[in-house]
Amino acid sequence: MSNVSTRFWNPLFARLWFVFNRNRISWIGVVLLLILVSLAVLAPVISPYNPVEQHVMDQFRGPSAKYWLGTDEYGRDLFTRIVWGARISLTVGTVSVILGMIIGSILGMYAGYKGGVRDEFIMRVMDVFMSIPTLLMGLFVVAVLGPSTMNLIIAIALTVVPRFARIARAPTVSIKERDYIEACRAMGFSDLRIMLVHVLPNILGDIMVMGSLWVATAVRIEASLSFIGLGVPPPTPTWGGMVREGFEKMLDSPGASIYPGIFILLTVFAFNLIGDGLRDVIDPRLRES
Amino acid sequence: MNQEHLLEVRNLTTAFRIQGNLFPAVRGIDLHLDRNETLALVGESGCGKSITALSIMRLIPQPPGEIVSGEVFMKGIDLLTLPEERMRKIRGNKMAMIFQEPMTSLNPVLTVGFQIMEALIYHQDVTNVKAKELAIEIMNQVKIPSASRRFKDYPHQFSGGQRQRVMIAMALACRPEIILADEPTTALDVTIQAQILYLLAELKREYSMAMIFITHNLGIVASIADRVAVMYGGEIVEVAPVGDLFEKPRHPYTEMLLRAVPRVDLNIEKLSYIPGQVPSIDRMPPGCHYAPRCDLRMELCDRQDADLVPLPGEPAHRVRCWIRGDSREIQDKP
Repeated sequence: MSNVSTRFWNPLFARLWFVFNRNRISWIGVVLLLILVSLAVLAPVISPYNPVEQHVMDQFRGPSAKYWLGTDEYGRDLFTRIVWGARISLTVGTVSVILGMIIGSILGMYAGYKGGVRDEFIMRVMDVFMSIPTLLMGLFVVAVLGPSTMNLIIAIALTVVPRFARIARAPTVSIKERDYIEACRAMGFSDLRIMLVHVLPNILGDIMVMGSLWVATAVRIEASLSFIGLGVPPPTPTWGGMVREGFEKMLDSPGASIYPGIFILLTVFAFNLIGDGLRDVIDPRLRES
Repeated sequence: MNQEHLLEVRNLTTAFRIQGNLFPAVRGIDLHLDRNETLALVGESGCGKSITALSIMRLIPQPPGEIVSGEVFMKGIDLLTLPEERMRKIRGNKMAMIFQEPMTSLNPVLTVGFQIMEALIYHQDVTNVKAKELAIEIMNQVKIPSASRRFKDYPHQFSGGQRQRVMIAMALACRPEIILADEPTTALDVTIQAQILYLLAELKREYSMAMIFITHNLGIVASIADRVAVMYGGEIVEVAPVGDLFEKPRHPYTEMLLRAVPRVDLNIEKLSYIPGQVPSIDRMPPGCHYAPRCDLRMELCDRQDADLVPLPGEPAHRVRCWIRGDSREIQDKP
């Protein structure tokens, strides 16, 4: 298996470099994401205050030298909270989608490639999962496992799995009938190898694009789950939670909602740009000569 | 078992299930292949050439296909009874296949070089570096210009003829003993066809491989084959050394087939053809499959199929016909 992965990924990274260099707009996404990630990583260093520290005298302040982005209703520094919130929001968003993406893609690819009863079984189970609303899924997971960041990730991953199973299955069904898959069988390759080396790169583009979009959605789901108390409990800052808290006092102090909202937007934007770049890397048919 | 032949197929019958009923697509195939030999499988579309090759490789999709009976011996080992695991080690390694469609038989998202070295890495315990070396060597042998530079190119950057060279390189990477070439030149221009045929013949000699060459082009047969098996309606109707077949075809179908080859050196007003078409596998006539289209057909032909038997005094030339290609002998046949 290690052979499979190194031989497959090496040329992929070479291409990633090559195409990202040609498609410069995806670099914007990469740079943006790097900035967001470094904000999150460097939170303890760059944040001027403690994220839960309240300044009772300084509620609803606008941006100033003291509070770079102003304060919220408890007088907590918004910049500090956004930077700390980035840690949780980005972690929950990416980890849950990556987890759901891996499990969902494997299930979908397996179902599509094998067909028959296994296909039916897997996809019907996926349909059942898909029919459960995200919030119910969150309630269920938290009721069983208790509220925590990890369980939030599990809940979001569970809602993401069936989407990726579908995304992975559909192209697999058509690709397995292609001549080059027949040629692979004639070369004596095992089903596992055919799936990983020959089917996967063909569907990876779809999966990656979908994944980048779902990271954005996952950040949003995290927000709504946090809000109803199923996610990370307050006062720990998360972007979604901040938007929700600020929303109640929107007219007095729009910044409390808008600034974290802008960061959600930037994250979504960054992942979409990267998703587009990735698609071009993985699918040479979309590249001109 | 008979160790003389490199590959020996006996009584192979492969059937397909259509609405619950099994219909044989090829029936009672007997053939053999010796080292360094090229056997051409000739016949119209749908006569079972490809099914025969796929059955030998055990690549018939199941369902709906099914190998009903028969044995395929490669150096004395029956491939049809091997466990799938061991069969996989033979495919692409000891026995490789070249497909008809070079445009679609390469994975569009993997580099050509990777696809050539993949079989080497998979079947033979070679390192990455060594596999790359070998792959470039093979690319040179199949005459892909500036091979080491094109190693990292993708299939869409290659022309049809070059892709077919890549397919050949893939098939030959592990130096198989048997090559099954399924109409490898059909999709190519005539000039490229000639180059590819010449290349195949050359490599075959160099690697001392045996080849089963599937085609419907008799011109190619004449230039490349040592022996020819003519198939019709899922059966072999005539097998002969290539010279014998062209000089004195005995089966009425072979005769008509040869007559239907257009000639540029003769001034012919009208091209000759065989009226009718190959019956589909669920409508095979009970007797001789060719009978409905045969000029020489007699009452017996409709009732019973003949066996594939050697001609008197010519053990290598076998014909499946009651009349055995000579209508004057009708009287003393059963």
